[in-house]
Amino acid sequence: MTTPVDINAIGAIDLMLSVPSGDPRRWYDFLRKSLRDKESLEDFEFPAQYMFKNVPHFEEHMDDPLSYVLSEMDRHGIAMAMLGTSFANEDTRRIVKEHPDRFFGSFEVDPNRGMESVRELEAAVKELGVKAATAFPAGMSPQVPINDKKFYPIYAKCVELDIPICVCAGIPGPRVPFECQNVAHIDEVCWFFPELKFVTRHGCEPWADLAVKLMLKWPNLYYSTSAFAPKYYPKDVVHYANTRGADKVMYAGYFPMGLSLDRIWSDMPDVPFRDHVWPKFLRENAMKVFQLDV
Amino acid sequence: MSDPRPTDAYFDAWRGGVIDTMLGVPATPEQRKAEHYSKFNAGILDKEAREKFTFPAQYMFKDVPDLGEIDDPIALLLAEMDRFNVSIGMLNVSTNPIAREAVVQHPDRFVASFNVDPNEGMESVRTLEAAVKELGVRSAQCFPAGLYPQVPINDKKMYPLYAKCVELDIPIFVNAGVPGPRVPMDCQNVAYIDEVCWFFPDLKFVMRHGAEPWTQLAMKLMLKWPNLYYSTSAFAPKHYPDDIVHYANTRGADKIMYAGYFPMGLSLERIFSEMPQVGFRDHVWPKFLRENAARLLKIA
Repeated sequence: MTTPVDINAIGAIDLMLSVPSGDPRRWYDFLRKSLRDKESLEDFEFPAQYMFKNVPHFEEHMDDPLSYVLSEMDRHGIAMAMLGTSFANEDTRRIVKEHPDRFFGSFEVDPNRGMESVRELEAAVKELGVKAATAFPAGMSPQVPINDKKFYPIYAKCVELDIPICVCAGIPGPRVPFECQNVAHIDEVCWFFPELKFVTRHGCEPWADLAVKLMLKWPNLYYSTSAFAPKYYPKDVVHYANTRGADKVMYAGYFPMGLSLDRIWSDMPDVPFRDHVWPKFLRENAMKVFQLDV
Repeated sequence: MSDPRPTDAYFDAWRGGVIDTMLGVPATPEQRKAEHYSKFNAGILDKEAREKFTFPAQYMFKDVPDLGEIDDPIALLLAEMDRFNVSIGMLNVSTNPIAREAVVQHPDRFVASFNVDPNEGMESVRTLEAAVKELGVRSAQCFPAGLYPQVPINDKKMYPLYAKCVELDIPIFVNAGVPGPRVPMDCQNVAYIDEVCWFFPDLKFVMRHGAEPWTQLAMKLMLKWPNLYYSTSAFAPKHYPDDIVHYANTRGADKIMYAGYFPMGLSLERIFSEMPQVGFRDHVWPKFLRENAARLLKIA
């Protein structure tokens, strides 16, 4: 059953998108020291590729990746997208600065770097205008569990800066241990930092039912659908969005890292969201949580 | 071997004015119990400590100062300080309005410290920041075993507070070693300090209340971590641990600083009658009695 809502006219906000820069073969270098299996180390270009069919190939667009990404966004009615940026990455910094109507920045934190990461995050908010912190616990070296003490100064800083943090939760795709991203660890964080806006990324599987329980329990816990084709959005999460969680579930894609926007938006109309959920899911929740109208 | 005879160096340093990094506002034992000690009665299970003690560590102290009726606690405190050449004292202003008044009225004689409770999460972080900005507080302080529930020195709940101390560039004074009150000790194990100093290399961490019986470890850690310090609070000079005196005399002259415990458990009279016999070497005395604290607390 396809939704009657004109989802391409909502002005979607995509909470996970990237404009590639640099050499694609180096994008996942940060993970290499944690990987041990031969296939990941020698055969995979993308460390979670065993899960994805048709990972987008970007090589032909590397002369002008921004124009390509913008045209893809336009084609699918994506008004705005969140883009990871940093002081070191001049390309993304310039894109966010020159296209504030189409992109806003997020900043990847590394709890292993202690106060240095806290200071950088603060500077990124003040100087680069980023709207959120992001973290990939299983991709850190060493890994840092979601409820680990090393995260606490960063969570505290997010509260002070009044920005959300988007954290990968659930079994990670790359072949590294999963425990650090156990959804159960989120409970303690939400308890200790009741004001922290915590947005899960990358599915929370196979604990989507727990994620829903925790979202019911904690007012500032949210879910984003990054890295999942709409066909695979967990049933628990769709059901929750349709019942009590319309304000808690937000769209995030995974283009071009693992999914094309064509794939995402051809699946999308078949997600059984109720009519009132669509504008919240695609746009309004992100506007509110990431304070995009401020 | 340390020389037990008082030296000229001691008296010169003493006459130069002492900074005491742990003083309290004079109060009757009952007032003190109501203001402070009653809070951790929740964690005390033995009947003697709960019902009979007015001061929860009193089994360890002879002659806890009894000041009788107190008309003017600030004047009394200043008079005692004057008698013993204590030029500046650090007072905890987090709950006591008289301590706040003392700091405001006598900024040349008192500096303020602020007690933090990691169980309060971000609330405590914000209160500490406001205290530094609005009250001119120079240090944070924390008593891990006296919190309810207790919070280990290396617990995650402490981390936002440590981070804030780094940002505010203030030291934190933390009780370490077996606590006097009859509550479990583990949260104050000196070993936990190692991880904190590793993760927060810029944090100025000052041990309080002896670090016993792990003074050897405390010394090892002070050698290892440039921003780890020791203050002698709640110990009569006669009982300063040998390890600590030895360390001050060898490589740790910049790391050990004087703290008393008046009027909570020791009189300044007791402290300064024993002090000259402590076997510090000549160059240690001015650092111990004043300079290390002055540097850490940014006292000109």
